[in-house]
Formats: sequence, C-alpha cells, structure tokens
Amino acid sequence: MKASEEEKKHPMENLLRMDRIPHIWCPGCGIGNAVSAFAEAIKKIEYDLDEICVVSGIGCTGRVAGYIKTDSFHTTHGRGIAYATGVKLGNPKMKVIVISGDGDLSAIGGNHLVHAARRNIDLTVICVNNFIYAMTGGQVAPTTPRTAFTTTSPFGNFESPINIPRLAEAAGAVYVARWTALHMRRLTDSIVEALNKPGFSFVEVIAPCAMYYSRTNRLGDGLNMMKFYYDNSVIKHGEPTENVDIGFQEEIVIGKFIDRERPTFSESLKSWQQENKTGKQGGID
Amino acid sequence: MDKIIEALNKGIENAGVERRKVCLVTDIAYSPDVVDFLGIDLFHTSRGRAIPYATGMKLANPKLLPVVLIGDIATLGGNHFVHSCRRNMDIVVICVNDFVYREVAGETAPGDFSPISFSPYLSFEKPLNIPHMARSCGCVNVSRWTALHTDELANSISQALHRKGLSLIDVISSAPDLLEFYYKNSELRNDEDTLNVEIEKDRKIVVGNFFNEEKPSFIEAYNEQHTKILGDNFVKIEVE
Amino acid sequence: MKADPRDVLTGTYYIDGDIAIAYGALAAGCKFLGGYPITPSTAAAEAFARKAPQVGARFIQIEDELGAIASVLGASWAGQKSMTITSGPGYSLMMENIGLGAATETPFVIVNIQRGGPSTGVPTSTGQADMMQSKWGSNGDYEVIALAPDSPQEGFDFTVKAFNLAERYRVPVMLMADECVGHMTEKVVIPDASEIELETRRFYKGKKEEYKPFKRDKSLVPPMVKAGDGYKLYITGLSHDESGHPILDKKLLPDLDKAGVTNKKSTNRFLVEKIRKNRDEIIELREENLEDADVIVVSYGIISRVAYRAVDMARREGLKVGMLRLITVWPFPEDRIAELAKRIKGFVVTEINYGQIVFEVDRCSHGKTNIILVPHGGGSVHDPDDIYDAIKKTATEKKRYQGVLEYTTSLERSVFGGSMAEKYGK
Repeated sequence: MKASEEEKKHPMENLLRMDRIPHIWCPGCGIGNAVSAFAEAIKKIEYDLDEICVVSGIGCTGRVAGYIKTDSFHTTHGRGIAYATGVKLGNPKMKVIVISGDGDLSAIGGNHLVHAARRNIDLTVICVNNFIYAMTGGQVAPTTPRTAFTTTSPFGNFESPINIPRLAEAAGAVYVARWTALHMRRLTDSIVEALNKPGFSFVEVIAPCAMYYSRTNRLGDGLNMMKFYYDNSVIKHGEPTENVDIGFQEEIVIGKFIDRERPTFSESLKSWQQENKTGKQGGID
Repeated sequence: MDKIIEALNKGIENAGVERRKVCLVTDIAYSPDVVDFLGIDLFHTSRGRAIPYATGMKLANPKLLPVVLIGDIATLGGNHFVHSCRRNMDIVVICVNDFVYREVAGETAPGDFSPISFSPYLSFEKPLNIPHMARSCGCVNVSRWTALHTDELANSISQALHRKGLSLIDVISSAPDLLEFYYKNSELRNDEDTLNVEIEKDRKIVVGNFFNEEKPSFIEAYNEQHTKILGDNFVKIEVE
Repeated sequence: MKADPRDVLTGTYYIDGDIAIAYGALAAGCKFLGGYPITPSTAAAEAFARKAPQVGARFIQIEDELGAIASVLGASWAGQKSMTITSGPGYSLMMENIGLGAATETPFVIVNIQRGGPSTGVPTSTGQADMMQSKWGSNGDYEVIALAPDSPQEGFDFTVKAFNLAERYRVPVMLMADECVGHMTEKVVIPDASEIELETRRFYKGKKEEYKPFKRDKSLVPPMVKAGDGYKLYITGLSHDESGHPILDKKLLPDLDKAGVTNKKSTNRFLVEKIRKNRDEIIELREENLEDADVIVVSYGIISRVAYRAVDMARREGLKVGMLRLITVWPFPEDRIAELAKRIKGFVVTEINYGQIVFEVDRCSHGKTNIILVPHGGGSVHDPDDIYDAIKKTATEKKRYQGVLEYTTSLERSVFGGSMAEKYGK
C-alpha cells in the first residue's frame, strides 16, 4: 500500500524547520526528546505560532532554536534568558521560551537565571541537563556529579554539583519540575503546564550524552542511559528541592516540585503604577 | 561602612591569625587609610569580580586568607557568588547589603529619602534573599548582622577565618541614621530557617547565625579526590 | 633563570598547538590556569588539567570567562605565574579585567585561539580578526604585548616567551594564535629544562615601610611583591599614583613630569610609556631577503606560512620579494616599516580579516609606498596564488596610490563576482 501525501509528511512539519533536518545531535542524545516534547506541548496549547518565540544560548541544546519553526534566536553563551527578558518586555504578547543546556543556563548564565526568577518574568525555561559541556568536547560542568570523569576533571570531579531546581526555587520561580528524556508524556504535560503558568517557570530535562558523559564514564550508549533512568528515577511530586541533588549514577528524583503563585513582573509593575499614581512619587506615565 | 572595617579589625584580632596573611578583596573604593588601619593588603577589583579574584589568590597561595568585602554580590557578582557557594571555596565573603528600603517592621525610617537607585521611582521588584540564595547553592555557613552589631559581626568574622570552606556574612549597612533605624528594628534569631529572613516592610530584620554545617571545602575535596586517584604523584595543596 | 626540570616535559611530541601551549605554560613555571571551555581553545585547558595536579599547578574551571580572568589576576598577585586561555567570545568577556590587569600592572598571559567571524562566528574555523581588539579592547589607554605563533612548535616557544615578557614588563601578554595553530598536529620538540631561559619576577628588596607598588626606576617597570607578605598593598583599578592610592584630582591625571618619576602623579602615562619606550627590546621580527626587495610581504601567525610559499614562487620567477613576519604584533614595529617604506615599491599585507594590521602598515609608511591588502574572511587560509598575484601586480605597478588598496582574492571573486581590476589597479 502506498502512503498518501499526507502520511508522508512529518507530523511536526509545521513546527520544525524540516529543511534543517537531519539535525546535528549525535545518536543516543536526549536533546531530540526534549525538542519533541516541546513541539508536542506547543501543539497542545494551541497558541498562535506567530506569537511564540524560542531563545537559546550556546551549546548542543543551544542549537534547538535552529530547528523550531517559530521566531527563534540563537544568542550568545549564557545570555539566552537576558535576551528573552528583552523580547518579553519589548512585546508582552509574545510567549517566550528559553531552551538551553545546563552549562549555558547554570554556569555562565547562572546570574540571569537567578534574576529572571527573582523578577518573575513571564518566561518558560527548559534546561536540558546532560551533566557535561558536550559541544566543546566533554568538560566538567557545574552539574557534573562528584567523582564523574570529564576532560577537565581527568581525575574525577571533586566540586559539589549545583542543584538547579533548588536554585530556581530559592530565586523565586513559580513552577519548577524535573523529568528525564525517558518520561516523554509527563515531560510534555509538564511543559504544557509551564507554558500556561504566568511567571517564571522552569523545567529541567535530564538527558543522556552518549558521546561524552557516558563514554568517558563507561556508562554505555543512549539506550543504556535510558534504561538507567527507567530503573533509577523516582517520581516525587512536591518533594522539597533540597532533596533532589543528583549523585553519580544514583537515584534521580523527578516530578513537579514547585507550583505556586506570585505576582509576575508585569503584574507588580502594574500594581505598583496604580499605587503610585496618587502617591508622593508620582506615576511613570 | 567604617563600622564594618572596625568589626573586621576586631575579628582578625580575635581570630589570632597572622594578620599579614589576610587579604581584603573588594569591589568598593575604600580609602587607602583602611590599609593602614587594618595592616593588611587590599585589592580593589572591578565591580562584582572580587570573588573570583580571591579564588585565584587562594589557589595560587593557599596560605593566604582572602576576605571578600563585596557590595555587588547580587547583581554583577551574582554568578560568582552562586558558584563559589557550590564549590565551598575557602574564602570569607562579607556582603555589604546597603539596600535602600524605607520601611521595616511596619515603621518608616526617619529622614527624607530621595530615590537614589537605578530605578528612579524606587523598586517594585522582589529583593533577593541573600542568605537563602547562599544556602540553596550549597553554602554551609551563613550569618547576618547589621553593621552596628560590631561584636557579633567580629565574632562571625573570626570564626569564618578559622573555618574551611566559604562563610557568608550578610551585613546590613547604610547611611548612619538609617543604620540606627535598622539596628533598632532587628531581631536576633539564631538558627532561623533562611526562608524566613527576607527583608520586608512589615517585618523586623532577622539577624543571627543562621546555620553552620560541615561540608568538604574546595581544597579538601580537591586533595581528597586527587590523592585517591593519583596517590603519591599528586602534589597536595598545603594550607598550613 | 633556567626552567625547573619538574615542569618541563622534555621530549619530541606529535601534538596539536593547544597542547603545546599548555606544555609551554607548564615549562614557563605557570602555576595557575583559570579557564572556561570554548572551542577551539579547550584542548589546552584539558592538557593543563591533566598535568597540573602532578606538578603542583592549579587548574580551576570557573563559572564564566569573567571569573576566569579575575581569578588569574588574583593568582598573579598571590605570587604565581598565571594564565587563561580562550577564544573570541570569551576574549570579549575578559576585556573588563584586562583593563584592570593593565592598570594595576599585573603580569599574566592570555591565550586567544582566534576563530572566524564576529560573535559566535565559526568556532571550528580560523580567523585573525581579534588583532585590533587585543590592543584596544578594554576602555582607556594602556599598552599590551601580543605575539603571533604560526605552528604548534611556536605555540610552545612563544608561550614561554609570553611569560617572560609579562614578568619583565608587568603587563598582560596576549598570545594571538588561531584555530589552525590550535588544532594542527605537528612535531613539537620540548628542549631540556637547562635550555629554557625564564625571566623571574623582579621582587622588591628594600625596606618594607618604604615600598610603593608603582614606584619605578629607569626601566619604567616597578618591582613587585606578593600579597600576604606584610607590605600593606593597596591595589586599585582607579587611576592611582605610585603608592597605588587613587587620584581624583583632574589636574594630576595627564601629566608626566620631566624626570619621569614624581610622587603625586598618576601612573596612567607609564602604562603606555613602559611599553613604547622599551619597544626595541620587545619587538621581534623575522626578515628574509629584505636587502634587495622591491616588494615586501607583511604577515603574522598562520598566514605567514602561506605567504612564504607565495614569496618563494615569486622569487623563483625572479621577482625581488622580501618577507617581514611579525612575531610581536603589538607593539607595532613602526620604525622598521617607515624605514622600509622609503625604498620599496609596495607592501603586500596578508591577514585573515578584512583589514586590521594593514592600516598600521599604512600609517607607518607615511604615504611613501603602495599598500596592498590581501584579505580573507576567515574559515580557511589564503590561496598562495592570490598572494603571488598580488605580489606580481605590486612589483610591476607604476602608479602610486594613496591609502590601502584591496586585492580581491579568487575566493571573493567566486563569491561576489567581479575581476581583480575592479578593485585594484583601476
């Protein structure tokens, strides 16, 4: 039986830049799963595609912006969130999503993450965490678990890794969740929730890096890593983020950790303006 | 500001450490008199970069005791702060928190406060809870005092100088009359959960030693991991 | 002083330029590297990280390049030779503290493995377009030293040289390599420690109470001390006098008194003077066949290897061509260029950018000769034929032109169309 024209089409064709496929990611990489979940989520929220903007930084995950068929910006290293803040404030109608890696968001961009969460800017941040700087060839990242080997920790990493959900929560994010690249359905639902949530929402996606992280640490290929996630991830919704540290090849706590209400940046700006119209300081209009 | 220097002097004195080994790394333009008064080296770095500067000093000469006195910990220096807490770098960080906030504990501060911040209409953004941020990044020793708590502050400093790893001391500091007002409206609560120490207008400023736990410092972890793998081939970082 | 045998990995290697640079740093006695991963420089940090714990050197991969360079400055004042290594975007982030390093006369080495294009550009391809940034990148007036290696072997040699210059002049030294040098694997010979001459930091020997961190003698370079030795240092990025204390009096800022040394004046001028006055000592050039040359090819870094081939081709045809290779790009060899300009038909300047150093050559030639730029947008190196064509055209040119003439390369012609005559010789 011959496939019809309709069937030949990729189901995500209106969301992905098909002319850019095949993508650059290695076999066994988990970033594709995150993109797929994101595209599925975009489909589900039925938002006008013209008003969606994807911003990413530099790195393997930084290349996501180049495959999503919306307005997308591939910016400088670490500055994705700051760039997205500008986009959002420049055109508040836009739904702005930052998709980037752990190194980009938590190392060089850590400060922007903290302050965007503090201001509660209406952004959704999807952080693909593969525990390593993969694009530059496997260097130690702030997320690399202790004792793991990388090219710049050739004798095992000795620094304590950062717990990004905890950082995001402490800084003031209103929605914080973590899933692995294996939990596609839950991840998709979580991204939908995050996109619908006003304020700063943060979704961490634990993803395998088959080329560097698992190779240097002899953890097998992408499939082995997926198997590991299957066996070792535990869903604990509402778990206090201080308990979700990740050790080397240890249990990974996943789930929706934080879902709370706090005035967003534009809401507090608005109410502040109203308060101050009659006040001593005068309004800003 | 001079109150902090006074407390620092006292802290170094009480700690009984070799004074010349203490290096003050700061992004605040202090008068050179401070050097004469304290009798230690002072490095005035670019804004927000004091923490990595001190990190380099400590690793290049582990016998030094860098004390970072930083005014810009939350904005420009925010990222360095986050990651030094995570590493538990062997330095002392004193954050000079000179926010302009007219109301605490439901009272309004005396005096006329013309807005001086970058945002000319005063801020509507949520301020950062620095002790809580530190804790969530993995810092294990955090305290907060106002600059007028000279003895307590000096005490925290001398403890921090003896301690391995990073100690964060959040010091509320401001113009003298405002500082007096903050001091009066502060409340001592040792071991308070850092979640509850946010500075808000209808609440007293919570001060105290919030927590003090043990965690291997950067240098300890470095030595341990490398000794484990390299054995005798490893040249240890000798702190003493 | 000779190098410490424990730091020198004597032997013959087949390694890439990045690794050679890391080994050069170790041989020079570098004990601190603060870095952040960035292609194409990463292999150097990796090589350093592997060797460092075994020779008592420290490597930290810090959270960003802003922190990397700040930690390098701190390590230098703590008494160790220190360096960082990066590429274009990271280099841009470092500019703030390069200024602080220059202002506080802190010796350190920055390796920039240049990539092509502005911003993220082409991380895995070559370029030489950061040359002006290396001189003018940070705010305010200051001078730096920049070296340009053309091979992994020179990556090793020049890193040692860079540390020596940094220590001698208390200045940030830039090693402006590029992706080709960084990623190219070649034979590298690391000599015995006894054959590596190192410049030791000049430490102050007088009375402690009388020490002033920026008080200088005739060499214009003040001796240094280490932090933590009881000198009560006050080191600031504010404009300062010789004791390091800030000067906020406008009248005192721009002057340099006749004797060159006074108490109450800003040291700003010395940041520039100490390099300009010592430039004959600092500048190193490789010159070939300049005696009879009608045309001189000026180049530096990787592209000089291509230029050598073009010069060879031209000389075989009987053209009188010489080669002037800049080892130190900054400070620029103004006097030598001016001297040569008087007696030749033209300079052919080849660089992997759309014109940076060529304007320096033009400036120093004072309109006495033709200046021809053979540009390249980066990503690869020139075709030697293009340089050869430019040489030939310059050698036979009768007319004198004002300003820089741009020779269109075959690559550009294939992309943008047009002929050579349209841009040059019309």
